[in-house]
Amino acid sequence: MATTVATAPIRDSGWIGVLKSPQTARLLFPFAVLALWYLIYFTIDSRIFPTPVEVLEFMWEEVTLTSGVRYSSVAENLYVQFAISILRLTIGFFIALILGTVIGLAMGLSKSVNAFFHDWVMAILAMPALVWALFLGLALGFSHTGPIIAVILAGLPFVIINVREGVRNTPRELFDMARAFDVPQNKITRHVLVPSLMPFFFAAIRYAYAIGWKGLIIAEVFASDRGMGWTIKFWYDANRAKGVIGYALFFIIFAVILEKLVFDRLSEKAFKWRPQVNAVQMAEGDFGGVTQEGFLLQESQVHGGVPIESMEGESRDG
Amino acid sequence: MATATREKTPVARSAEEERLIALRRRDTRRKWFWRIAGYVAVLGAWELVSPWLLEENLLPGPTRIIETFPDLWNSGRFLQSYGATLTRIGIGFAVSFGFGALLGVFTQNRWVEGFFKDAVTISLVSPGLIWALTGLVIWGFKPAGWIFAIFMTTFALVTVNISEGIRALPKDLIDMSRAFGVTTWRRQREIVIPHLAPFLFTAIRFGFSVAWKVTVLTEVFSSNEGIGFEMRIAYTLFAMDEFLTWALSFFIFTLILEKLVLQRYENKFFRWRQEVTV
Repeated sequence: MATTVATAPIRDSGWIGVLKSPQTARLLFPFAVLALWYLIYFTIDSRIFPTPVEVLEFMWEEVTLTSGVRYSSVAENLYVQFAISILRLTIGFFIALILGTVIGLAMGLSKSVNAFFHDWVMAILAMPALVWALFLGLALGFSHTGPIIAVILAGLPFVIINVREGVRNTPRELFDMARAFDVPQNKITRHVLVPSLMPFFFAAIRYAYAIGWKGLIIAEVFASDRGMGWTIKFWYDANRAKGVIGYALFFIIFAVILEKLVFDRLSEKAFKWRPQVNAVQMAEGDFGGVTQEGFLLQESQVHGGVPIESMEGESRDG
Repeated sequence: MATATREKTPVARSAEEERLIALRRRDTRRKWFWRIAGYVAVLGAWELVSPWLLEENLLPGPTRIIETFPDLWNSGRFLQSYGATLTRIGIGFAVSFGFGALLGVFTQNRWVEGFFKDAVTISLVSPGLIWALTGLVIWGFKPAGWIFAIFMTTFALVTVNISEGIRALPKDLIDMSRAFGVTTWRRQREIVIPHLAPFLFTAIRFGFSVAWKVTVLTEVFSSNEGIGFEMRIAYTLFAMDEFLTWALSFFIFTLILEKLVLQRYENKFFRWRQEVTV
């Protein structure tokens, strides 16, 4: 009943009010996509362009393992391919995290180390995943090593830069005060250093994972004979549009689940103690325009740039 | 005493200043030393590792790449490929920017915003590869294929930036100018556009850096000219030196374009702000 009271002004205009609400618009969007899809279907001069129904049938067969398609000589299916990719991603991600934290800490603490690594970190950051993928495919052949290295190279710069910024942003006054009051070192680390590093570290994890995923699937296309990237290429080579579109939809579902369910939840938890800070806004001043996937917009150079995150979360409505 | 200190202070201060200047100079010298050391270490390792650790044909050193460059340049394919790729980026990004900017304006309306919310999220989080393959499998060699890929990967960046820019417009300044009878044209030119400019620049820079990567990716899969095509040819011929030359030359080209051209233009544009922000 409370809701009816709250929506009283909308109820006055009846159906029109419901139609005008942003939620309705959001629900309408998939239908608009379907309409556009059928429009393309009926106008395009292509024999392989599928209807949405065909794509959904394909996806259903893949999910229920009734399609009868066996990828490569090994009997593998959607789930195995996904598992292989996620395993590679996780291994590469942890290596990048450890390596990046060490280098990032060193760069944050010493100006000389920073000068030594800075330009090369930026170069790795700006290098497209495609170049790594082709190079690793030639140099290392088809194995797990190539894709894992691709994940490391994609994620490493984000970890390094965020950890470095985190070290630079630790509140010096708090350290001084803790020392003045004779707080033991392990307590300083636990209560001052780690909490102030956390948001940066979290941003590092998030981007290393998301960008690592994008790097991984390109590497799997060129430097691997299994995994999700390889599978979508399989359907592309087979010239089956329904396979390509179906797998593209699998990718989108996976990416959205990762962003919305995993990372948004985690970031809520990680910043409960510090509600006013948006994790991503602090991630980095000198990305200088060249990011791996343009995922971060930097704020300090362009005075008005806005982090993408601010539009996705609740901050948009507030 | 008073006179003595008065005489002394400027001397002491200048000594202090000199000390500071010397310190700063030492700092820059040290910074440059380590920076150059970094370049020497990486390039040196690359040059040395290439013949020993891997085969030389697998990882040609920097000198080989510098030697390969004139060959490619003389073959005439260089300018042609750059022209083809840049044309694609230009067309694709223009379409994407136009639509993204319009969408950024219209998302001020909550209904439109709700309608496109999922589209923007999907465009931001999904990998470029799927758009490249989807566009190409549907449209093949036709321009629609790569335009679709560039569009799907970049329009959301433009939309987000512009809609945030509009949301942050200084309403009080606009109200005031209206109250004082400033003409609409002048209001746009002197308040709205200078305010939106940084958002536009961010959108262009990020959009461009994403656009060129996805363009090269589409050229790798289906094209008969362009940087991506040349890279794939080198890849299938196992010509690592040519491959690296194509990749690195375009990489350096885009770095120069983004860092020097766009950033310099941007700095010029924001000269009037510099005193405030420092």
